[in-house]
Amino acid sequence: MLKVYKYTLIDLARNKFVGGWLLLLMAISFGLFQLEDQPVKAMLSLSQVLLALVPLVASVFSIVYIYDALEFTELLAVQPLHRAKIMGGQMLALGTALVLGAVVGAGVPLLIFHPAGASVTLLLACVMLTLVFTAIGALIAIKNREKARGVGLGLVVWFLFVLVYDAILLWIMYAFSEYPIEPWIVPLAALDPIDLGRIMVMLKVDLAAMMGYTGAIYEKFFGSMMGIFLALGALAAWVAVPSAFAFRAFRRKDF
Amino acid sequence: MARVIFENAGKRYGKMWALREFSAGFEPGEAVSVIGPNGSGKTTLIKCLLGLVHATTGTIQVNGQKVGNDPSYRHQLGYMPQISRFPSELKIGQLIDLMDDIRGNTMDRTEGPLVKELGVATMMDKRLGTLSGGQRQKVSAVLAFRYSPTVLVLDEPTAGLDPVSSQILLSAVRAIKRSGCTVMITSHLMEEVEAMADRIAYLQDGRLQFLQSPEEILGVTGLDRLSKAIPAMLTAKTGSHVESL
Repeated sequence: MLKVYKYTLIDLARNKFVGGWLLLLMAISFGLFQLEDQPVKAMLSLSQVLLALVPLVASVFSIVYIYDALEFTELLAVQPLHRAKIMGGQMLALGTALVLGAVVGAGVPLLIFHPAGASVTLLLACVMLTLVFTAIGALIAIKNREKARGVGLGLVVWFLFVLVYDAILLWIMYAFSEYPIEPWIVPLAALDPIDLGRIMVMLKVDLAAMMGYTGAIYEKFFGSMMGIFLALGALAAWVAVPSAFAFRAFRRKDF
Repeated sequence: MARVIFENAGKRYGKMWALREFSAGFEPGEAVSVIGPNGSGKTTLIKCLLGLVHATTGTIQVNGQKVGNDPSYRHQLGYMPQISRFPSELKIGQLIDLMDDIRGNTMDRTEGPLVKELGVATMMDKRLGTLSGGQRQKVSAVLAFRYSPTVLVLDEPTAGLDPVSSQILLSAVRAIKRSGCTVMITSHLMEEVEAMADRIAYLQDGRLQFLQSPEEILGVTGLDRLSKAIPAMLTAKTGSHVESL
């Protein structure tokens, strides 16, 4: 697996898109910190941008890269290698490249202008969301033969998690406000990885109102450290489950 | 015992059978040309052998080892696909290094079959994304021959190659065949088939129509060229007129 990982990473390191992603994040981050007087406000604005952009880029780039590498993957699949090692190497390299892009692109300005626990938590959320959406992207790319369909599906999944799911949750809470539904809201919030990222940052910054309604409920149920660990655990599950399905699909795939 | 054995191998995609009940054995040192119209099941047959496609029915063996989840049998395989695409940012040398790592090969990257003959040795620092289709085919040919395969699978190997490189490649195929390697080759060029094949497997609608030597085919039809004899043979066999291959 390390052989595939190493050479895929070399390929990705020279990829213009990965470099562009790093520079874009750096420009946005520096820009926001220059515009805002208070670093904490800039950090919160940046968190909104990152929590939406990071999943989108991780998902779409993974899908496109896996489609474009299909013939090469086919060549690897006729070598004496287990398919799990091919998939593992490629996914790990994609995750590493995108995580480095996000951590360096947003991390350097964050640590310069707002070196606090909240910034580290935001970066941690970005890392986890990158891995989650790389796994989801890989699953989509393996399960769908057409690139356009795969990219479309990736966009739909992103839109669902970034906006629609939160809206549905809000509607449920409003519609059933007369019933004791709060214990159900917490596990329901964990079904959206982007919400989990928001919750992690929110618990650290202590500004629940800015982070959405589900985040506020989450904060009420859990203290700061407990909440962070639970959210991290749920995000780890969000990486593991799509990855497991992606590996299974890849093992059974007909090229 | 034959080196490659297909026993009732079949592949179904949904309701459509791309390959049905294919049974045959290919011997060491034998070149078998798999031909047939587009969509006849040639690529599916090759991909079943390579393990790229999971056969729905039957079994396939290479040197007595069953094609399945254990990839170790692929140490014996060399494969040159019809279309080669590689990671665009890698250099040719790095691609060869990767494959050498996977295969456990310690040979220098500029050594080995076809590396110098096809001019790949002088292009080691070239990015794969900058190569023309023909150059990619040359890299692909080098990789197919590099690890002394006992079974070599070539899918339209000369498509996209210049005439000189095509001749170099075909000479290498003849040489590796003489050394005892089993060669499976698909081609639409009848001259190539005539020059290379010990036996010809003709597929149509996923079914094997015949598997015979060029001499047998010419003898049965009484014609002097395979390009004429194969359609005549099919017409006699199926009763339907075949204009061309």
